[in-house]
Amino acid sequence: MSVDIEAYEDVWVFVEQHDGVVAPVSWELLAKGRELADETGDDLVALVMGDGVSALAEAAVSRGADRALLADDPVFEPYRADPYGEQFRALVEERKPSIVLIGGSHTGRDFAGRVAVPAHAGLTADCTELDVDDEGLLLASRPTFGGDAMATIKCPAHRPQMATVRPGVFDAGNPTEHVSDPAAAVEEVEVVVAEEDTLSTVIERVVGDVVDITDADVVVAGGAGCEGNFAPIEELADALGGEVAATRAAVDEGWVEPARQVGQTGKTVRPQLYVAAGISGAVQHLEGMNDSDVVVAVNTDPNAPIFENADYGIVGDLHEVLPELTALVRAKQEVTA
Amino acid sequence: MTDGWNIVVCVKQVPDADDVTIDPDTGTLNRSDAPAVLNSPDRNAVESALELRAAVGGTVTAITMGPPVAKAVLQTAVGAGADGGVLLTDRAFGGSDTWPTSLALARAAAELDADVVICGEESTDSSTGQVPPGIAAHNGWSQLTYVESLEPRPDEGVLVGKRDVEGGYERVAAQLPVVVAMEFGANVPRPAGLHRKIFAETEFEPVEWTASDLGIEEQVGLANSPTKVGGMDTASPVERERVVVDSVDDLYEHIEEVV
Amino acid sequence: MSESEPTLQKPNHQTETPNYDDAYDAIVVGAGLSGTAAALTMAREGLDVLLLERGPAPGTKNVFGGVLYTPTIRELVDIDDAPLERYIAEKKFSMLSADGDETAVSMRPSAWSDDPHNDSYTVLRRRFDEWFAKQAEEAGVTLITETTVTDVLRDGDTIVGVRTDRPDGEIRAPVVVLAEGANSLVSETAGLKDRPDREDVAVSVKEVFKLNRETIDDRFHLDGDAGAAYHYFGEGAVGEAVGGGFVYTNKRTVSVGVAYRIEDAAQGQTPEATLDAFESHPAVAPLVRGGRRIEYSAHAIPEGGADAMPDLVYDGAVVVGDAAGLVLNSGVHLEGTNMAVESGYHAGKAIAAAIEDGRTDEAALAAYPRDLEDSFVVENLRHYDWFHRTIATDRQFLFEDLPRALADAETEYFKMDRSSKEAHTDAARERLLDATGGWVGAAKRAWRFRRMLS
Ligand SMILES: Cc1cc2nc3c(=O)[nH]c(=O)nc-3n(C[C@H](O)[C@H](O)[C@H](O)COP(=O)(O)OP(=O)(O)OC[C@H]3O[C@@H](n4cnc5c(N)ncnc54)[C@H](O)[C@@H]3O)c2cc1C
Ligand SMILES: Cc1cc2nc3c(=O)[nH]c(=O)nc-3n(C[C@H](O)[C@H](O)[C@H](O)COP(=O)(O)OP(=O)(O)OC[C@H]3O[C@@H](n4cnc5c(N)ncnc54)[C@H](O)[C@@H]3O)c2cc1C
Ligand SMILES: Nc1ncnc2c1ncn2[C@@H]1O[C@H](COP(=O)(O)O)[C@@H](O)[C@H]1O
Repeated sequence: MSVDIEAYEDVWVFVEQHDGVVAPVSWELLAKGRELADETGDDLVALVMGDGVSALAEAAVSRGADRALLADDPVFEPYRADPYGEQFRALVEERKPSIVLIGGSHTGRDFAGRVAVPAHAGLTADCTELDVDDEGLLLASRPTFGGDAMATIKCPAHRPQMATVRPGVFDAGNPTEHVSDPAAAVEEVEVVVAEEDTLSTVIERVVGDVVDITDADVVVAGGAGCEGNFAPIEELADALGGEVAATRAAVDEGWVEPARQVGQTGKTVRPQLYVAAGISGAVQHLEGMNDSDVVVAVNTDPNAPIFENADYGIVGDLHEVLPELTALVRAKQEVTA
Repeated sequence: MTDGWNIVVCVKQVPDADDVTIDPDTGTLNRSDAPAVLNSPDRNAVESALELRAAVGGTVTAITMGPPVAKAVLQTAVGAGADGGVLLTDRAFGGSDTWPTSLALARAAAELDADVVICGEESTDSSTGQVPPGIAAHNGWSQLTYVESLEPRPDEGVLVGKRDVEGGYERVAAQLPVVVAMEFGANVPRPAGLHRKIFAETEFEPVEWTASDLGIEEQVGLANSPTKVGGMDTASPVERERVVVDSVDDLYEHIEEVV
Repeated sequence: MSESEPTLQKPNHQTETPNYDDAYDAIVVGAGLSGTAAALTMAREGLDVLLLERGPAPGTKNVFGGVLYTPTIRELVDIDDAPLERYIAEKKFSMLSADGDETAVSMRPSAWSDDPHNDSYTVLRRRFDEWFAKQAEEAGVTLITETTVTDVLRDGDTIVGVRTDRPDGEIRAPVVVLAEGANSLVSETAGLKDRPDREDVAVSVKEVFKLNRETIDDRFHLDGDAGAAYHYFGEGAVGEAVGGGFVYTNKRTVSVGVAYRIEDAAQGQTPEATLDAFESHPAVAPLVRGGRRIEYSAHAIPEGGADAMPDLVYDGAVVVGDAAGLVLNSGVHLEGTNMAVESGYHAGKAIAAAIEDGRTDEAALAAYPRDLEDSFVVENLRHYDWFHRTIATDRQFLFEDLPRALADAETEYFKMDRSSKEAHTDAARERLLDATGGWVGAAKRAWRFRRMLS
């Protein structure tokens, strides 16, 4: 069931947007896609879908895309898997992209799974490294079960080669590229879906501000050990000028908003300092913070695996240790101020 | 739909994460000894299927694709209260990635006249989360992923799912048949009743379907999987100092160096 | 879809749950050695047996030194297929003083290297118990895991089943076998036995260290499957407490632990600190150096001997293994595994015979305690009953004075200086006699402890 792979070219990046706001992960992928396209000699193409979102297509060009494909129609707002999937299938059949990169957000993964099947594409989820080999084949690497091995996935006989990447894995960079007329590089495509053919309806959407912890230099994270009281975490983060983050366990308890979850199914952070308090150190969590420069662990259990993955650890109750630490930080700041 | 919904729940057998250890000498994964267990997010799928059955009536059928020993996860589902189970097992399935896996599950779900297919968020061994949307795509059905709770509307032939999205939630009404992926931790899975558990582990027998039973023997397995593992590297473990200090003052000093 | 397959068998929906009350002849509580031995024996006798285990698999909750003694188990299963670690090729007994001295006796009879290796093997219970339970399942036993028994069910005075922590969690059967181990909460809650006296229980903490196989072979002078069992006594092993320490070799791990009376732990000697001190003793530290600690666990060991044994049979129930206090801890011997299996075996036989007769009251099950009385189990326990009483009187001497005196005497005896050998010998003798209370004291003690090696 292989395809004529020669017929497929270009690197596509799916620009995920909600209410006209682009998910940061999409710009991260656009920057990475630029590198890949430069290596393969392909064009970098931004795929923008929504209602009245031509400005985003232009922004994508300003950020380095050679071209943008724009599917602009009310049927695409808000996001739904079935109309997006249908439109994507039509575009892939017609334009034959070689590589498609999608953000590993909930929306991105909902979309990617839907579209890989009709395209009969190879899809690698949660990549942490992307590269191309000599023949221009995408090398998508991801940690495998347990997190201590990296598997490199290739897709030799099928196209497109698709990958999802979690937020924070790549750097968005600065949109320095100057394009005099980005609108000229935007192509509006034919919309192939009609509202009456859709299978689902969004009946309510409640979305607040989305914080972004992926760029923080200092992250103070709490886990189940906080037992509902995140104040010590927040105060230390405040004193250090950092962001609050959490494990999935803490997020599931509702102590912290989901956007602050670090780990395999959350964000990837790479701060200079990562403080892990009341966190056991499950592999799914470690995956999201292993690239931090310095890791500090506070845990009552000397056997907690987090100590194996920390530079400095202290065995103790976070409700005592963190306030003391916060006080020291503040005292020092007062002296220097 | 007076006789309720045909609810299908997809369960997968994975190596027990607690038992997968890293050999400190060689740095490799000791996976061989790890017993196989039910993928923990699938417990939420089973619970949600049982709750849905309680709400609208009908039956819950558990399906799994895997080797014959994967029967154990069907037993777990039946122990919790599923009415029956199907084991998709065939050498031809070996080496399948998400594309053929979701095809097999999609065909089986269609064969069972499913109104609702419920999956877990992702599997702990392959953690792609792509199988549920894949099932929906193969059958052209609607899909609801990252679902926190379900609200059935049998009179309209619709299932409403509250989805977790960045920054909040949305409620989406999906036409039947629909594929749902429950968010991990969305509910509290019930423990199996003692007698039900004994039944599941002693008397219950799943039906077994092969790839050719489903007419897909030419479309599954390693050869029909678009992705190939090109290489495995031991991820160089991040070198950490692993210093355990005795006092907060010492800890502060180390932190001060950084910030 | 593929309508072309009309033959496809649809799943058979079974929404109704059958009731298993009295579907089994016996319910066994706990899939440890005694419970599985009982279940296996009954299944072989044609009984339907339900084996309930609280852990996710048999063995996951088990703590153990340890050496598995296999004379009885060998009769029940083919242990050549069992996951054994090493056979015991060497036994060493050491006296450790708190000052770092060691005085040891080591034995390596060549006979132990030959099959059946004196029926003594180190095992990892996690793997062994699971394997043993699998043998029982193959014989027809129904094993249900992740199910904790919380109480027995009674009809008047007769025990008629168990209650578990699961929904719909009661199940009835003619006989209940209580094989729950040393921490026998069900038997105690049900009033089948009293909480054991503090003096009759030892606390044990143990750590497992991971080392290379070659490192273990080198450090303990071992080859192939040969293994070592080291036992330590004296203040250097467990401080002021009554008890001892041990080091056992597995294939790729070494188990290190201490066991001493819970009484001493209650008086402030914490298990963690005791184990720490033992592991840093100069006689022990080099054995585990560089090992990665992969497990820490704590457990109780009954050691009350025959006097502390509860009643073993009731109307509708029997108690086996550690739950019945069947452990021999004499200092020289630490044996529970063989007694657990032996008691499970006799209980299983007796239950099968009783069921055959259609009766499961106390009298009908009496063959079990009778057979156990006649077996090595009760005989050995009786034989060593004196030990606990004696040890209590002589604690100070045995665990503190003697190790130090021995070390001093050795130092004197072998001293290299310019005085004569005879002078050294006299000085050494002096030291020993000081510690033992002169000639008379030594003779009395020798008399008291003569049975230790008898
Ligand atoms: C499919 C899947 C995806 C997942 N994705 C993620 C993910 O993206 N991110 C993530 O984090 N997890 C994820 N998990 C969950 C992960 O497996 C762990 O369950 C989770 O990380 C545990 O969180 P925790 O460390 O806060 O809680 P626990 O494991 O319960 O640890 C709590 C720790 O706090 C310590 N403690 C308790 N009290 C105190 C105190 N007073 N002071 C100091 N320490 C204390 C305890 O000793 C313990 O070590 C995922 C799981 C699955 C199955
Ligand atoms: C540190 C240590 C070292 C030892 N070393 C040796 C040695 O070297 N040689 C030797 O021969 N003996 C040794 N022993 C003693 C030996 O381990 C025991 O005598 C033997 O394991 C007893 O077997 P058992 O089946 O009675 O109990 P266990 O092996 O303790 O089994 C009890 C089982 O019942 C289960 N259970 C308990 N309660 C419930 C419940 N309510 N519901 C369901 N399941 C339940 C438990 O999970 C467990 O699987 C040692 C013991 C210890 C603690
Ligand atoms: N082999 C399989 N058999 C049954 N269900 C599966 C299988 N693989 C994946 N699933 C389902 O799809 C979900 C997501 O899995 P994955 O896409 O592998 O992360 C799981 O939680 C299961 O519900």
